[in-house]
Amino acid sequence: MNWKKVLLIYCKEIMGAIRDRRTLISMIVIPLFFYPLLFLGIGYFTLMGQEKSEALPSLVAVVGTDNTPRLIEKLEQDEKIKLVHLKENEVEALEAGEIYLLIEIPESFDIEKDQENYLTIIVQYNSTIQRSQIARKRVTTVIEDYRQQMIQERLEQIGIDLDYIQPIQEEWLDVALEERKIGTILGMILPYIIIILIFVGAMHSAVDITAGEKERGTMATLLVSQLSRLEIVLGKYFTVMTISATSMLLGLIGLSIAFLTPVYALGELSLIKAKFSLSLFFLFFLVLAPLVGLASAILLLIGIFARNSKEASTYVTPIYMSAIFLGMISLSQGMELAEPMFFIPILNNSFTFKELLMGTVYWKHLVSTLISNIVITLLALLTAAKLFKKESVLFRS
Amino acid sequence: MPNAMIQVNHLTKVFYDKKRGKVTAVNDVNFCCHKGKIFGLLGPNGAGKTTTLRILATMMTPTAGKVLVNGYHVVKAAHKVRQSIGFLSGETGLYDRFTSRETVRFFGKINGLSEQGISKRMTQIFQTLGMTHFQDVRVDRLSTGMKQKLSIARAIIHDPPVLIFDEPTVGLDVITARAVIETIREFRNQGKCIIFSTHQMHEAEKLCDEIAIIHLGKLLSVGTLVDLKKRFPVGDLEEIFFKLINNRE
Repeated sequence: MNWKKVLLIYCKEIMGAIRDRRTLISMIVIPLFFYPLLFLGIGYFTLMGQEKSEALPSLVAVVGTDNTPRLIEKLEQDEKIKLVHLKENEVEALEAGEIYLLIEIPESFDIEKDQENYLTIIVQYNSTIQRSQIARKRVTTVIEDYRQQMIQERLEQIGIDLDYIQPIQEEWLDVALEERKIGTILGMILPYIIIILIFVGAMHSAVDITAGEKERGTMATLLVSQLSRLEIVLGKYFTVMTISATSMLLGLIGLSIAFLTPVYALGELSLIKAKFSLSLFFLFFLVLAPLVGLASAILLLIGIFARNSKEASTYVTPIYMSAIFLGMISLSQGMELAEPMFFIPILNNSFTFKELLMGTVYWKHLVSTLISNIVITLLALLTAAKLFKKESVLFRS
Repeated sequence: MPNAMIQVNHLTKVFYDKKRGKVTAVNDVNFCCHKGKIFGLLGPNGAGKTTTLRILATMMTPTAGKVLVNGYHVVKAAHKVRQSIGFLSGETGLYDRFTSRETVRFFGKINGLSEQGISKRMTQIFQTLGMTHFQDVRVDRLSTGMKQKLSIARAIIHDPPVLIFDEPTVGLDVITARAVIETIREFRNQGKCIIFSTHQMHEAEKLCDEIAIIHLGKLLSVGTLVDLKKRFPVGDLEEIFFKLINNRE
């Protein structure tokens, strides 16, 4: 094998990719501009909707007797609650979103005077309407306030202090380090996002320089030249790796910009605060580089096997979906993998990466991840080189 | 065999097709091509011409038989064979995003030529083929004729002694086809061994020193045009061709 020839193929493919508008779009435009805009858009509209809902007073209807005057008074005093009086069809109005909450006070006794009894207030809300949820929160606070006031009054009447019935009070203190807090949040979403970025970046170029070349008839030109099949495969493989890694890095830059904007307020988390040391970056590289390598090798293999780009895209889709599925598992908090599971590619990358982000280094997991990724990548590359020699693959139409 | 640059002995190629089962694309074919000669493989579509040329170009391996190119075995010394040949067919496409100069330079480097050697040879080839005016134009902006010239330039940049052309004039207009024919003649004058396939009688008649008529994988007859006319006194090459094919069917 001649590495100079591998480099020649690599340079040729990179040059071709740079001159191909579609590759540039998938490698640069989508990760650097489209993803951030998408996330910013989603974040902006969610925030706007939330702010608007928070700003609006909650329309609350009260039906029933007037034996809780102080509760009604408290509700009326709350600036964010607006009591409305409906004569009929209150439930329909709630379902239609015309009012956000319906409080039913049953006709029983005067709770303020009858201190031996208790009252059950029925509060109806609509969980599918955000404004109803907000109204629920606001009214709960008012009712709680009313309840506390009544408890205090009842206790005072029998000469008992409020503290008497609250012998223990708790105070919760979070001892988690700031870095670890950030790591937990990042560890949940980042592996998943990175898997998507790597695969999306590699997909187009892997298909274009294999199945696409077959389609354009340029593959045969390479095959009759003085290049070994392995040299061709490696040159193309390093190209896909470069494009995939570039796409991932640009995607991360783009998403960082999006998440640090006021829309997400993650800026407060101050990612810079997280003390990412050089050795940690090296460990990130140890986990992510094999993943880029693995994705590139598998996608390249599929591209070489496929008759044309269309067929390759069909084969690539389930692989992409499986990768997303494995990546999604890392989204679940509290999920822990058994040792042998660290040999499952993609799943191991996402979990090992998650561990690193949370500040823990399990060498056993790192080694398992590396071994499984390297073995599968090598197998995929050797199979790809073998497929290049198979007439049934090269000349099938 | 003196000067024999290509020796094909009892070449057989069998495919397994899902629909058709076992298909013998080339069946016990024998022929030789010599230095400074043009050898024409004449046959209709599906005759086995392309398969034979693919085997010569090491893109396929024979099921049986022995094939030597420039003295090298096509299976055992495939790399040496690829050094000795320039291959051109409808399948050998060009990179749309590269200029003519970049394309030829790339293949020159792949074939192990030095930067200086590439520049010298490229200038010479571009002048001979009349490509200088479009040497910096991207391939996707070239006409079919220009692309074919570039394909030839790409195939001969390393100055191989054997040229394998699979239907090099297919899809070309009359003027470009004539230019290609002239170029092939020029290569013969330079002492190269050329094998080319065609199904156009007049092309074979005008150009070939030796003609092999192939049909359904079988070589029906091989010889110079004069030999063939003596053996089958039915008229011109077209008549000979149809007589042989009809006899076979």
